[in-house]
This record gives sequence, C-alpha cells and structure tokens, in this order.
Amino acid sequence: MSCSNLTMWVPSKPSLSDASSLSFRSFLNPFQLPSHNSPSCSPSRSGTPIHCGLRELRGRIDSVKNTQKITEAMKLVAAAKVRRAQEAVVNGRPFSETLVEVLYNINEQLQTEDIDAPLTNVRPVKKVALVVVTGDRGLCGSFNNSIIKKAEARIAELKGLGLDYTVISVGKKGNTYFLRRPYIPVDKFIEGNTLPTAKEAQAIADDVFSLFVSEEVDKVELLYTKFVSLVKSDPVIHTLLPLSPKGEICDVNGTCVDAAEDEFFRLTTKEGKLTVERDAVRTQTADFSPILQFEQDPVQILDALLPLYLNSQILRALQESLASELAARMSAMSSATDNAMELKKNLSMLYNRERQAKITGEILEIVAGANALT
Amino acid sequence: MTLNLCVLTPNRIVWDSEVKEIILSTNSGQIGILPNHAPIATAVDIGILRICLNDQWITMALMGGFARIGNNEITVLVNDAEKGSDIDPQEAQQTLEIAEANLSKAEGKRQTIEANLALRRARTRVEAINMIS
Repeated sequence: MSCSNLTMWVPSKPSLSDASSLSFRSFLNPFQLPSHNSPSCSPSRSGTPIHCGLRELRGRIDSVKNTQKITEAMKLVAAAKVRRAQEAVVNGRPFSETLVEVLYNINEQLQTEDIDAPLTNVRPVKKVALVVVTGDRGLCGSFNNSIIKKAEARIAELKGLGLDYTVISVGKKGNTYFLRRPYIPVDKFIEGNTLPTAKEAQAIADDVFSLFVSEEVDKVELLYTKFVSLVKSDPVIHTLLPLSPKGEICDVNGTCVDAAEDEFFRLTTKEGKLTVERDAVRTQTADFSPILQFEQDPVQILDALLPLYLNSQILRALQESLASELAARMSAMSSATDNAMELKKNLSMLYNRERQAKITGEILEIVAGANALT
Repeated sequence: MTLNLCVLTPNRIVWDSEVKEIILSTNSGQIGILPNHAPIATAVDIGILRICLNDQWITMALMGGFARIGNNEITVLVNDAEKGSDIDPQEAQQTLEIAEANLSKAEGKRQTIEANLALRRARTRVEAINMIS
C-alpha cells in the first residue's frame, strides 16, 4: 500500500477555546489508540502531516465518527439536564421569596431592638473555612479547573495574610484533587448528588454552622461557580458567615481579609441593624400585618430564621454550580462535535484523494502493460 | 372562616390547602392554631406538625424553621418537611439508633452540637410515624 505524499494539517479552529479542544483531544485518544498500530500515523495535533494508508484512514474516520456521536449525545443530555436544573430553581423560588419577605419584615420590626444572634457574630479572624463547590464529572471544559484554581489562589492569599484555613470540599472532582494534596487541611469531603437537594445543603450548613458556632473558624467563605448565562459563568467567592455587610471583616491586626471580589450580600446591615437588600423582583409585602406579635424573643426568631437563610444560600450556590457545570459541558461538547465534524471532513477528503490516486495508478499500470504487449 | 396552611421547603411546596386546625411545635412549646388566630410570628422547633383535615389528623415532621400566622394564612418555612405516612419506619428507627450511638461517642463541643441536632431530627421522624399508628 502506497503512502500518500499529500500533507494534511488539521486546522484547529481559532475560535475554539483552549478548554474545548483539550476536552476533545482527551476524548479522542482512547479511540485512536487501539485502531492504529502504525507509528507513521501520528496524531495530527502536533502539526506533523498525516502519512496514512487507506486502511488506517478508514479506521480513523470511523473512530472520529464514533467520537462525534458520543459528544453529540453528551451535549444533548447536558441540555436536557440544564432544563431540569432550571426547574429545580423555579421550584425553590416560593420558599426563598417568602423567606426574604419575612426576613425583611421581621428586621424592620426589630430595628429598635438590640439583637445579638450567634450567626452574625463578627470576631477577629484567625481561621477561615473555605467551602469549595466542584462538579462530579469531568468533560466540561475548564469548569472544575477554574474553581480549583480560584480556591488555590484564595488559599495562597490567606497564607500570605498569616491566617489559618481549612477546606470543606463538595463534589467528586474537588475531593480527588484535595485527597491528592494532603498538605491542604480538609475538614470534610461531601459528595454531591446529581441534583442538589435541601438535604445536601443541610449537610453543608450543619458542618459550617457547628464550625462557626464552636468558634473553630471565624469566617466561612463559599467558592462556587456563578451561573451568568449558558455561555458564561464566573467562579466567585461569597462570604457565608458571619452574616454581615460587605467588607469590614478584619483579622487580628486589623487588616481587612475580605476577598476583593467578594459578592455583595443580600442580607446586609444598616446602621448596625440587619436588613435585607431589596431585589428588583420583590413581591408586595403590603398585606403583612402591622400588629404582628412575636411568640418568642426576637433573638430566638432570628436564630430560627438565619439557619434557613444560610441553607437557602448554600442551596442556591449548589444549584448555580450545577447549572454552570452543565452549561460548560454543553458548550465543550458542542465544540468537540464541531471539531470532530471538521476532522471527519478533512480525513474523508484525504481518503478519497488517495483512493483515486491508487485507482489512477492501477489503470496506468494496466494500460502500460497492454501497450508493452502490442 | 377558613384557615389556609402553606408549608414551604427549599425544594418544593409540601402543603398548600385549607385546614381545620393545626398544632405546631414552637420553640416555646406546642401551640394550637384555629381560624381567626391573632397574627404572630414564631420560631418552629425540630418537631411535629399535626394537621386536622376533614376530622382526620395528619402528622408531619418539621426540621426547624419559622412560621408566620395572620389573616387566616399560616406560612411555615422549614428546612425539610416529611409527611408521617411517607417515612419508612425501619429506616427512621435505624437512623435514630445511629444518631444515639454517635452522640455517646461525640468528643468536643463541635461534635456534640452536630450529634445533638442529628439525634433530634431522627427522634422527630420516629415520633411522626408513631403518632399515626
């Protein structure tokens, strides 16, 4: 079998992000390896031209076809799951809306009282707990990587400030990452389910709550991927505890240890009192009775409300993280499918050319032979 | 006058319909609520909610939260709520035993806090089943 002297460079689309081509390559390799034992058929990624026989080419086309089918299917699955994740958010909305409404009303009525709830207790920060929310699976572009990088950056920052830290890892990918690095103190590994539920959020909240209330840590930060849109998501750091306004959380030396990009709190304080920041979509609260009585002390009521608020915050973070993961997987798989399509096109063109060259060669041989006889 | 009960958890709406009477376990003890109750706000303990509907009592295990009563509207916000009839008795009993064992071996302030919470949750679930039978 003659090797073609044709050269083919598989173009890597300039519009593709690094992550998507990465995910494609890592997916392609296992399929390539068994079907190609000839060393001349080196992966085209390194820029070397393909010198392949017809049979190898056919094998490659088949493997690319298979890969494309799989990436296409994964894309569709991710798309369907995004819809389910959105439904979960919508289902949780009545709860969170009522909670914010109630919290706002109660705070308004409690303005005059002096409140000291344990969850709002601001102490000098000596130790920080980082809750890192990652995904359970790979093949979703740079999703897991970017949140882990963010966590590493935050850890380095805390180290620089001379503060102690501990990590609570949520999600399989984060768990394996931190398990491989025993020098990072991890308080707890939590594995997520396919769809985040209140139980899961409760498990995280319980852990965070007991860490904070027992004064083992003085600040809890939540690192998760914020869902902006289907094509955009940002890893963010969000101060979970103490429930307090932005900034003003200082370490022993009085230097501010808040992350620069710390997200603005929904629950804020105004002149030393708790208030809830109004959303643009806030529901009407006019029907709320002004002659409301409190069955217990306001402090106790806040004690009951704040864990609920904490839980719903964590649940929302989990849901957003899942939505981001699925969206990232969707776009990674869609660009992998595109890539596979292009690769397939180029390979089949090469294959056809070579087949034709071979046929032409054979005809020439026959004609030459016939000529020689006469 | 009818009384409307709405039990909300972060996941879903557990209950949203008219009821005759409810008994709610608050932080300062159980209170019964009938139509035209005075508007109050109360913290809800980890405990049992009993609902009277068509002269039948239904129990529900509530995992701590908050309730607001006014205008014949009861809004209960809780972390988790389970109807007594939906709980698997064997599983609940097992969880209770595990929780009890955990509390006895808990060391330090933090573990005790965690174990205590878990135990109370487990106990409530078992109680919710036993109320029916």
